[in-house]
Amino acid sequence: MIEFTINNQPVCAQKGETILQAARKAGFYIPTMCYLEKTTPCASCRLCVVEVDSTDGLILSCQTPPTAGLAVTINSDRLEKERTNIMKLYDVNHPLECGVCDKSGACDLQNKTLEFAVSAQNFSAKEQHRPVQHWGLINYDPALCILCEKCTHVCNEIIGDDAITLQFGGYKSAVVPKNSDVLDCTFCGECIAVCPVGALVSSNFQYTANAWELHQVPSTCAHCSAGCSLTYEVKHASIATGTKEKIYRVTNNFEVATLCGAGRFGFDFDVHATKDEELFTKAVEAFKNSKAIRFSSIITNEEALILQRLKEKFGVKLFNEEARAYQSFMAAFGSVSGKNSFSGSLESIAQSDAVIVLGGRVSTDNPAVRYAITTAARHNGAKVIYMHPLEDELMQNVITQMVKYEAGSEEGVIAMLAKTLLNGCDVSDEIQSFLNGLDEGYLCAESNVGDEEFAQISKTLIRAKRKTLVVGLDILNHKNSANIAKLCGLIEMATDFSVVVISQHVNTVGVSLICDLDSDKPTDNVVGYNASGDFTVGSMGVCDMLVPALNSQEGTVTSLNYQVLSMNVAIGFEGYCLNDIANELGIREVNTIDYTSQLPIQKGFKGVDFDSLSNFYGPLGEDNRGYILEMMDVACDGVIDDVCQLPEYNGTIAYACNPVNQFNIYTAHTTQLEKDNALRGSAQFAIAARLAHGDRVTIEGHVGTKTFIIDETLKGTIALNPFYEESTANRGYRFEKIKLTKVES
Amino acid sequence: MSKVYFSTWRGEQINNIGKPEEEWEKSAYNLPLEYNEHASSKAFIGWDGLALFNPDVDVVRLATEYAAQYQVYSEACGRCAPGRWGGRILYDLLDKIARGEGSVADMDHLKEVSRTMQDTSKCEIGKTVPNPLLDLMHHFEAEFLACINEQKASKHYHLHDTNYIAKITAPCMDACPAHVDIPAYIEGVRDLRFDDSLMATRQTMPLAHTCGRVCPHPCETECLRSNLDSPISIMELKRLGADYETDHGFGFFHPVEQKPKIGKKVAVIGAGPAGLTTAYYLALDGIDVDVFEELPVLGGEVAVGVPEYRMPIDKYNQDIEAVRDLGVNFIPNTKVNADMMRQYEKDYDAVMVATGTRISKKVYCENERADIQGYWGAIDFLDKVNLQVKYGIMVPEADQKRHMLPADFVDLTGKTVVCVGGGFTSMDVVRCSIRANAKKVVMIYRRDERTIINNTTYEEYHEAVEEGVEFIFHSAVAEMRDENNVLKSLMIDMFELVPDPNGGRATLEKIEGASFEMECDYLIPAVSQSADLKLIPEEWEIERTSWATIKTNGKDYMTSRKGIFASGDCEYGPMTIVNAVGQAKRAASVMARYVVTGEISLNDDEIMEDHLRKLKVYDKKKKITGWLPGLPRQHSEVLSVDERRDNNLEVKYAMTQEEALAEADRCMRCYYIAMVAH
Repeated sequence: MIEFTINNQPVCAQKGETILQAARKAGFYIPTMCYLEKTTPCASCRLCVVEVDSTDGLILSCQTPPTAGLAVTINSDRLEKERTNIMKLYDVNHPLECGVCDKSGACDLQNKTLEFAVSAQNFSAKEQHRPVQHWGLINYDPALCILCEKCTHVCNEIIGDDAITLQFGGYKSAVVPKNSDVLDCTFCGECIAVCPVGALVSSNFQYTANAWELHQVPSTCAHCSAGCSLTYEVKHASIATGTKEKIYRVTNNFEVATLCGAGRFGFDFDVHATKDEELFTKAVEAFKNSKAIRFSSIITNEEALILQRLKEKFGVKLFNEEARAYQSFMAAFGSVSGKNSFSGSLESIAQSDAVIVLGGRVSTDNPAVRYAITTAARHNGAKVIYMHPLEDELMQNVITQMVKYEAGSEEGVIAMLAKTLLNGCDVSDEIQSFLNGLDEGYLCAESNVGDEEFAQISKTLIRAKRKTLVVGLDILNHKNSANIAKLCGLIEMATDFSVVVISQHVNTVGVSLICDLDSDKPTDNVVGYNASGDFTVGSMGVCDMLVPALNSQEGTVTSLNYQVLSMNVAIGFEGYCLNDIANELGIREVNTIDYTSQLPIQKGFKGVDFDSLSNFYGPLGEDNRGYILEMMDVACDGVIDDVCQLPEYNGTIAYACNPVNQFNIYTAHTTQLEKDNALRGSAQFAIAARLAHGDRVTIEGHVGTKTFIIDETLKGTIALNPFYEESTANRGYRFEKIKLTKVES
Repeated sequence: MSKVYFSTWRGEQINNIGKPEEEWEKSAYNLPLEYNEHASSKAFIGWDGLALFNPDVDVVRLATEYAAQYQVYSEACGRCAPGRWGGRILYDLLDKIARGEGSVADMDHLKEVSRTMQDTSKCEIGKTVPNPLLDLMHHFEAEFLACINEQKASKHYHLHDTNYIAKITAPCMDACPAHVDIPAYIEGVRDLRFDDSLMATRQTMPLAHTCGRVCPHPCETECLRSNLDSPISIMELKRLGADYETDHGFGFFHPVEQKPKIGKKVAVIGAGPAGLTTAYYLALDGIDVDVFEELPVLGGEVAVGVPEYRMPIDKYNQDIEAVRDLGVNFIPNTKVNADMMRQYEKDYDAVMVATGTRISKKVYCENERADIQGYWGAIDFLDKVNLQVKYGIMVPEADQKRHMLPADFVDLTGKTVVCVGGGFTSMDVVRCSIRANAKKVVMIYRRDERTIINNTTYEEYHEAVEEGVEFIFHSAVAEMRDENNVLKSLMIDMFELVPDPNGGRATLEKIEGASFEMECDYLIPAVSQSADLKLIPEEWEIERTSWATIKTNGKDYMTSRKGIFASGDCEYGPMTIVNAVGQAKRAASVMARYVVTGEISLNDDEIMEDHLRKLKVYDKKKKITGWLPGLPRQHSEVLSVDERRDNNLEVKYAMTQEEALAEADRCMRCYYIAMVAH
């Protein structure tokens, strides 16, 4: 703790905090144009200069930590004059197109120009011709760019794409794609979000609305389990056609939170219906006669609770294999760790100085996890040990050790990893004998991970202080997932690692906590709720009856962090919803959100009303969104089984893996996101499968045909098989021996 | 002392305007009066003022050109609002005045923008560019006003009779023999763009892992931050970029794209730092390079001299692989002789001799005979240690016998080792002896503790003491005593420093009666090394220095024989890695031109580099403003004595990311622009 003064008032700074950070915490205002709390200081605008008593000249507060006893002055005539002069310089030749600029009304340059009352341009410089660059979903206008560098910093430090850079050229400096003529990135659009002016804009949104006309609906992203905060910005579609609203864009609180491209650009998955009595009656009948309800986890906690109530009242079975896999995994995990959830979170990953990722393709499964890892790698120099059968090019600039294992051998790998991480930890005799009994030779040979690789992991971790193990989606459906879960639970319990288990859908965690799930077996009269069934009710594509999608609903979801987050209605829905059906069946509540306070307290939910849940970040980045579930104790009675035979996967194997920004049929339904469902394999795979680039193929057991593409970034004989267009039903273990048939065109 | 017409350099006020030339007052600084052998300079202008060397300088144009250079040197600007726009406005307004279209208000605007730049720019370049411009506007106001009032162009505006040559520098860059763009690589760390950081380093220094560890960092001595509190830990910050490349398994980040082959080839003799550097930059220029190395391993003295605990070989190999990545052909196990040299001269377009200094000099004591067992030259001793530790190459049987080793590696269990030295090599000898389990290790040094620290580093000395090395200062070996040609003991004389009564330098005088005998098994001379130049054909009559190294002019590194170049220790004498790299980088640039044109030349950048080094960029009297003093220099963690003294683990951990970022934030980016008009 460093004590100093600002404008003669005592202020404290934590170690590592800058003068600017301490000032903001203490409620002082220092103007900035380029400062972004979540990245390192860009230090380009110079507006944050302050005066100090220990030296002459002006100090840059954004990158200078205070020294003890320092007297800082943050406003004076001199500072005011220099800041005004900087604003005058910023305004030189800035195009006067505020009338049509997307940013107008929410523009930092506009705001600061007003703040410093710059009313005229006293200096001039030669104008230059700078054409607008079109980069797909993103447009860049160098004439509007003030070169604050927020975009390049966020792209490199948080996202990890490192796709844009500043081309230095003094007055001609501009943001350009890095090492490429065209922008080659994951199109998260975070650069658009952080741009303080109208230089980087969404090409889809540009020139469609003024900032002040848009109605803002804070909500939570519906596409993966990260539960990212977002705001739908809504306006009527056309003056001519009346008041029907549409989502124009999605924004986020970029100062502290981050959003991927699916969240930002994949917002138009809403469906529309009117109240059709006849259909509604049929739906009620279908529910009444059903033996089982099959549903997906892309629903709210409240919907899940209604389904659970239906089960309790009518004895219907509830089928959701995807959530059930997670539920079983966490039950086994808890049987060793003694808790119903895990101690890690996205936040703890970001703060780690060592991260082990095991069994998942995090970059596309859950971009928020990737961003947290990028943040840790860049800001903390975290060592990232990535254990998976497939390399991931998107992760290369964060991974410090790639451990490549054979598909199917996860149980052996985690057992060896547990042994490595538990070395020197105080464990029971039982655990010690389990570890001693591992047949290392067999496990290493079958998994193809050498003991030197585990030795390297030990060496890497020597200096690490904040460690996280990220367990990916592959594991949940592994044949031996229960034993793997116990080994993960063991690591959580016995080592200083925090564990994070990635779940697939927006509300997998909620469903797993709320619903008593049954094993999905062939059954007559199944109602599908956002899933397949004999009668289907849902918010996607072809359904017998439509209900509102998650951007048309009020309700909550539970993120992978075990955080209950609210969703709000961006687009009204005029048809019926699940609660209406439940009411007909005697399960009565006026609104779906009346169930929010009834979510099971024994699972850690708090009996809080929906309307009492907040959904915002505080000015200093405090997460005031919903609440975090309480971690509950569970019986610690699990016994870890011996690791015996590891399954083998030979021949042509496909790995169920979606392209960037695609997650499910909802994202598939949106208009801006790229749709690439090609089967991608290496040149080696092509030879093994006897395929040529561009062949159309069918995959045995899968619907439809796909194009096969040779992807130069891949190696080995495992192909990537996108599944986002398919139903949200559980797919089983992600590695699959496949039989491909070429379709003659 | 330079003869000038007018100077405001570093605050001096020399105004010879109107005086006859013979009465001109001289400047106290080494200003670049002669640009090169073909051209005299007309003016010099830079961050700290300006100097005019004759009365006919168009000062308005000079100011305009200086402002223009600020725009041209885009690499260092465009990153802050005051610098980016301010610099442009300075240029536009000055040019407006110079071409005869200016107004008096423009002068006021110039001054106002200048002040904002001086106070708020991100780096020194933006802060200092206005300095000489304001000087000019102040001292030569009449010339500016003449252009404005008469609305006519400045006197040479339309004459293209002057060349304006500018150069970006910084105190640290100037002090670094390899002129590494230090502020850029530190900025890469600060921005978490480690690839950019490494590429900045590799512009002039291919051995980033190595010089992130074992450089004596002369840059830190001339770091301007030391005027404020303590210098930046410049050397260690180099490691972040290098580690980023290595840790993530990227290919190699070369500073520029390799040029296509131009059909020329160069032979490099010696694969040490100088040889590797020559090869790297020639290969980047599209020239084929064959590197001949006597040893079975690559890397020269850094590989077989510098111990593993200071310079892990896997890291050095990364640096070497970066060179190989450009297609450089390495030919180890090849000791080049004079016949081969004669052939290479015919076969190649140029030859670089970079063979280092690998002969250990004698200590000059009585009975100092190479055939006494126990007398073991430092270079050979370190070769044997390092070849085994780093490469698993065991000591051959004959050498085992010769050096009385019980096994096929250097095992000194139970032995007493005395080393005579005081430089890095001797430190390596004693610390390796500790690790080889010697019973007792003694360093005999003629001078005092302070001098040994100056010659090496505080850390190096301190760590050696911690590990148990005994230092005897003001001492020298007087005699070797043997029995049947086996070393038994040494006679050690003791000295004291006697001040010169006339106020001259104190002299070392022997203390009579203080000499003593010390039993020992090994005497390892590590006093200095000399070059083995037997490979140079005698008939070439290549000139030597008085230290028996190869002579060049220290600028283009060509020997007295055309097409034969020399760099590194065999040219300079035993010196640092970074010195070898700096020489070789320059030589490679000269050679790349030579193989095409047959001419020896320096480019403007190199000429300016030499001028600035002569002028010296670092000013230890300079007052620092705009930076908060008292932010501590970060120190990386060191293994404890017990953790390190019996093994070869790297003694020093890298800085943690937190430490590195805090350190990078302390860098003041002291870029400057200097410009000569000729």
